[in-house]
Amino acid sequence: MSMESIEDFTKRASNWIAANLPPVDDPPMPDRELQALIFDGGFAGLAFPAEYGGGGLTLEHHKAFFDAADRLRRQVRNSCRISISTIGPTLLEHASHEFKQKFLPGLLRGDQVWVQLLSEPQGGSDMAGAVTKLSRQGNGYVLNGAKMWSTGAHAADWAICLARSNWDVPKHDGLSMIALPLKDTPGLTLHQTRKANGELGDFCEEFFDDVQLPGEYLIGDEGEGWTVARTLLLHERYFHGNVQYGYAGAREWSSSAFYGVVHTPQELVAIAERRGVIDQLGATLADTYIDTVVGPLTERRINAALRSGSYEGPWGSVLKLQWSVGNHDAVRAELAVMGAEGAVWDGTEVEIKNIGTTWIFSRARRIAGGSSEMQRNTISERLLNLPRDPTPDKGKPFKEVKSNRE
Amino acid sequence: MHPELTEEQTYFRDTSRRYLEKETPLTVVRALYDSPDGFDRGWWRKVAELGWTSMFVPEANGGGSISGRPVADAVIVAEEMGRMVAPGPFLPVSVVADALAQSGGHGEILRGLLSGEVIAAWAFAEADGNWDGSKVATTVSRDGSDYLLSGDKRFIEAVAVADYLLVTAQADEGLTQLIVRTDAPGVTIRPGRSVDMTRRVGAVSFDNVRVPTGALVGAYGAANEAVTRQRAIAIALQCAELIGIADRTFEFTLAYGANRYAFGRAIVSYQAIKHRAADLLVTLEGSKAVTDELARLIDAGDPGTDRMASVAKAYVGQACLTVVDECVQITGGIGVTWEHDLHLYNRRAALDHVLFGTPQEHKKRIVESLQQEAA
Repeated sequence: MSMESIEDFTKRASNWIAANLPPVDDPPMPDRELQALIFDGGFAGLAFPAEYGGGGLTLEHHKAFFDAADRLRRQVRNSCRISISTIGPTLLEHASHEFKQKFLPGLLRGDQVWVQLLSEPQGGSDMAGAVTKLSRQGNGYVLNGAKMWSTGAHAADWAICLARSNWDVPKHDGLSMIALPLKDTPGLTLHQTRKANGELGDFCEEFFDDVQLPGEYLIGDEGEGWTVARTLLLHERYFHGNVQYGYAGAREWSSSAFYGVVHTPQELVAIAERRGVIDQLGATLADTYIDTVVGPLTERRINAALRSGSYEGPWGSVLKLQWSVGNHDAVRAELAVMGAEGAVWDGTEVEIKNIGTTWIFSRARRIAGGSSEMQRNTISERLLNLPRDPTPDKGKPFKEVKSNRE
Repeated sequence: MHPELTEEQTYFRDTSRRYLEKETPLTVVRALYDSPDGFDRGWWRKVAELGWTSMFVPEANGGGSISGRPVADAVIVAEEMGRMVAPGPFLPVSVVADALAQSGGHGEILRGLLSGEVIAAWAFAEADGNWDGSKVATTVSRDGSDYLLSGDKRFIEAVAVADYLLVTAQADEGLTQLIVRTDAPGVTIRPGRSVDMTRRVGAVSFDNVRVPTGALVGAYGAANEAVTRQRAIAIALQCAELIGIADRTFEFTLAYGANRYAFGRAIVSYQAIKHRAADLLVTLEGSKAVTDELARLIDAGDPGTDRMASVAKAYVGQACLTVVDECVQITGGIGVTWEHDLHLYNRRAALDHVLFGTPQEHKKRIVESLQQEAA
């Protein structure tokens, strides 16, 4: 049987979308409910093989589906999409046939939401220096150690976790990737990290104390963990770049949402005028406004170039660096414009929605998801082809490498 | 600059690039330093044949743009000129051609501009170097069926070689534009030089110049919108040129740094330089994105054009001058010698930085317009 043409598919998908998905202006449908609706309609994971619960079609069909939903202005994006577009394709590439049969349908339906456990408290930017320990025990494994900065883990059901299974080989060669359940797992403690601004973060830390896992949960072979992690990071970049499995329809950013500060540039100009600081801060305010215009335009340009294939490589790093620096600058500018009234308020209750408290956490954007310095390394080494930095740990057995282990 | 050029636009870019590399390599640019005009008129007629003067001239007058979007085509040329710091009055001729075309008349001058026989320039800014219509003090008044023009204009590219000047003047009824012959009685041209190797920028005074009725461009007293569009086109071409300049200097500076060793390592292997290069690439991408958007808005006649022109000039003017400036630092001592080509680029970038408003002046305009929006 030949593959359904994009044209026929678009027609079929549009009919189904129009009849089934709620309009974007309606109250948002709960994420898992929406994903189950899409899955039961036969439109989830369109580029995944049918034997694993997917549509058995291609990424072109996947794109056509989201474009049709966009055209019809229907709700189609939800939080399950992150695990579907990053962990889904990673499992597809590296997990065993049995594993995929067992887990992919539930992942695609949003019944089980998956997250990644990569970063560690001691690790900083050096993700491959993971020291969470995976040891063999009979036919299975035991996991010990800790992970941190795991986005969405408190709301997820399953995770894939990067751990060290061999300490006698160089750092990239001694890693393995293993799946683990996050609910009611003996030996696993998980809690949301409290941010410096006082809020609970949407990221978590996990502690593993002799967590027992069956051998079938290993993704790829022992020692292939870094290869699996690289696939995952690639799909994560695709997700942020809104391409490939991560494509979810053309996005239009609103400028103020892009930077997430408290006031719009127009409001800030009016406040600066009222406070009599427009002469001193005019140029800073103009810079903030300019960034909110140029940022989304740059994102549109780079994503279009990635989609058409005229750009290749980790261009998402350019967007990450531009966005995170611009955001931090914008918060700092607003702190200056608001003066005392931005950091002081009446009453006895704690308030979070003010620029003083926003400032406390604003550096995080230049640290999380690859620090600005890591992005600059990626841009200079992989987009500009400048020489890599010297790596003294290269080729050394990991146990001899200097690290933050106690 | 735009990653999604059409096939025809790509061909146009490639032929323009090859022509500049062959006819005006940097050795020729250096030689033109001592020429009074800064370019050769025969050479200008040849680039006119390549299509450089065609995009803003209506098809009825023999012109036409290859994509149907004249500004999108023109920024391709401007970017190539930047890459080679090429000579020639592309910016003034383009701006005047568009102004005449928008007015719906002046076919004969347009045909002259198209062939390269005629050169025209825009006389807008005055003594204070301000490209704001409200600051225009040159006056125009009616005298029978003629107009009388008086005042001083400065900072005019190609004024000394121009056959015509598009003059923006203040009438009692409002801003008015006239296309004036430079050999008319009462017109005094004061040739000037600029920091650039080949770009000559001068001044003109009008002493009660009598201008015939047919010289009116657009409606009398109602040139505000036209002036806004002309300034936006000038800024789009400047920004595209700045991008060509910055892209090219960035390329040859990183190539130089890869072969320049210090303490046993290529200097571009140091993070002090790698991280700076990464930051420059970010602003280069931003520059390209905002310049393409400005071109798109002008071609679409979008009401957001004026604000976007200021955003583009503020961002690109700052970013691209910084790229060149940092390239001088990365290159080191040889980068501040006459022998090294960097100064050819730094000169053009500095001139583009200041003409049609500095980034700082455009930031002031942005704040004023945000204030109006907030009120």
